[in-house]
Amino acid sequence: MSLCPPGGTYKHPGGMAASTAEKVQEVREVTRIERIGAHSHIRGLGLDDALEARQTSQGMVGQLEARRAAGVILEMIKIAGRAVLIAGQPGTGKTAIAMGMAQALGSDTPFTSIAGSEIFSLEMGKTEALTQAFRKSIGVRIKEETEIIEGEVVEIQIDRPATGTGAKVGKLTLKTTEMETIYDLGQKMIESLTKEKVQAGDIVTIDKATGKITKLGRSFTRARDYDAMGPQTKFVQCPEGELQKRKEVVHTVTLHEIDVINSRTQGFLALFSGDTGEIKSEVREQINSKVAEWREEGKAEIVPGVLFIDEVHMLDIECFSFLNRALETDMAPILIMATNRGITRIRGTQYLSPHGVPIDLLDRLLIVSTKPYEEKEIKQILKIRCEEEDVEMSDDALTVLTRIGMETSLRYSIQLITAANLVCRKRKGTEVDVDDIKRVYSLFLDESRSTQFLKEYQQEFMFNEVGESIDMLNECFY
Amino acid sequence: MQTDSGDMSRVVEHLAQVEGVAEDILADKQKLIDLDRRRNKTREAMRILQKDKTEEKKWICFGNMFIKVEKKKASRLLEHDFDEIEKEMSKTRTELKPKVNQLRDLEHKEEAKGFNLNPLSDSEMKAVKDLL
Repeated sequence: MSLCPPGGTYKHPGGMAASTAEKVQEVREVTRIERIGAHSHIRGLGLDDALEARQTSQGMVGQLEARRAAGVILEMIKIAGRAVLIAGQPGTGKTAIAMGMAQALGSDTPFTSIAGSEIFSLEMGKTEALTQAFRKSIGVRIKEETEIIEGEVVEIQIDRPATGTGAKVGKLTLKTTEMETIYDLGQKMIESLTKEKVQAGDIVTIDKATGKITKLGRSFTRARDYDAMGPQTKFVQCPEGELQKRKEVVHTVTLHEIDVINSRTQGFLALFSGDTGEIKSEVREQINSKVAEWREEGKAEIVPGVLFIDEVHMLDIECFSFLNRALETDMAPILIMATNRGITRIRGTQYLSPHGVPIDLLDRLLIVSTKPYEEKEIKQILKIRCEEEDVEMSDDALTVLTRIGMETSLRYSIQLITAANLVCRKRKGTEVDVDDIKRVYSLFLDESRSTQFLKEYQQEFMFNEVGESIDMLNECFY
Repeated sequence: MQTDSGDMSRVVEHLAQVEGVAEDILADKQKLIDLDRRRNKTREAMRILQKDKTEEKKWICFGNMFIKVEKKKASRLLEHDFDEIEKEMSKTRTELKPKVNQLRDLEHKEEAKGFNLNPLSDSEMKAVKDLL
């Protein structure tokens, strides 16, 4: 990225206008680049109807067995209290699989993703944070039914009484593409029509039960009424069909959202603090019983969702025992955990356990393992990432980048894509080539080269001695 | 060749079924529109009778015949009509749902979610409204 020299303005041979335009362009590009997440290219699990994994599909590459397993898990989502552990080395697509599952579930199924370390906070207890995460992953589907009158205003006629005071009366003519009718207006309706500044040519809906008027916009047929319009003027089609419609809207809310609304004691205060803090268990019990009541009356459906806990080895022994218990309740979501640890210490204890997860919890889990990507797969992923980030890359450069990915890590080589693209644009090239890759490879160290560098020059870094003395101090204490 | 024509006829049969159900749904929708138009006309007539302060007999058009009836009787007839239309509309609406589900099933689409739920009452909805 080219920067303005300090204290001066950026001069461009193309003249002022061109340089401004280019700068605007550059600014926009940067924000866009920042907005692409590491797993933004994933659209689903890439399975066919028979749950077989396609080699490359929906942004997913390789990991066929793990993806097939994930597909099976999605099928059994109806059964409460299932838990899955995705285990594999760093950069083998654990989070990608979890994201793919979330995408495959569709927008209606709640999906909560947290990192293991997120639950350690001063504001609320560990178990509270976990409970909230659980309840965020359970949806409740409810239906709202309203009778509305929807149409284009043909005419409003308001008669003022001759004396100047007293009740006003009026008429409102509404139409759809199919019909037209006249409504008599009372005092109340006239007031709200005036308040909403409804005029002929507007498309309005009137809620029949409450009489609330909503302006949807102006009719397309009236688009030429004025030469100049306010910026908010929205043009909509004249509604079709009946004037008085029954509108049914299905909402899916999570249990946690209902909790939050009901635990607000002093209304607006909670709105500003943002964080809701802890929720009383009585509130939760009340809500559980209310939801159970709705279910009996056929008013609500429970939508079990998915709770994904990344870096699950960061949880401590108390959290694990909580999870054990929470999985047994009838409103438990599918729990997916991911870890990149092998046999390691369970946090909060001195005991070693596979994946840093206690054996009793492991026993309840279905374990899916991911394997390191092969060269071909790495190449494919890099290619997908290039497309996702709008980077043109030559085949040779891609091969070089793949080699880098094999020798260092997939993450590092993905990072290089954006950097190489910027270098390429700096030299006004259209396609990233091998030289660009070489340049960024020399500019940015990967983990092993950085370690190498530190080993060589450790003595010259700041606080080196202090570091040693702290070590000595620690030894004194123990 | 034999299997081909067998497949063919199955496809045609399936499409015919889909079209049949879709046609039915469209007919019902049109019916709802026609009913609503009649409902609005009836409502307008009732309003006019209500506002009228005189006590004479009124001309009313039933079908394509004008009949002169007493005001009270006229408004009773209209009210009866209005209730009938409302009933018919809600019946048509409830019948429409299984048909739409059947169509989705034939088209191998997923069942519409939450389609068969009972609506929340107004007060319940108001409580939930805050979070929507």
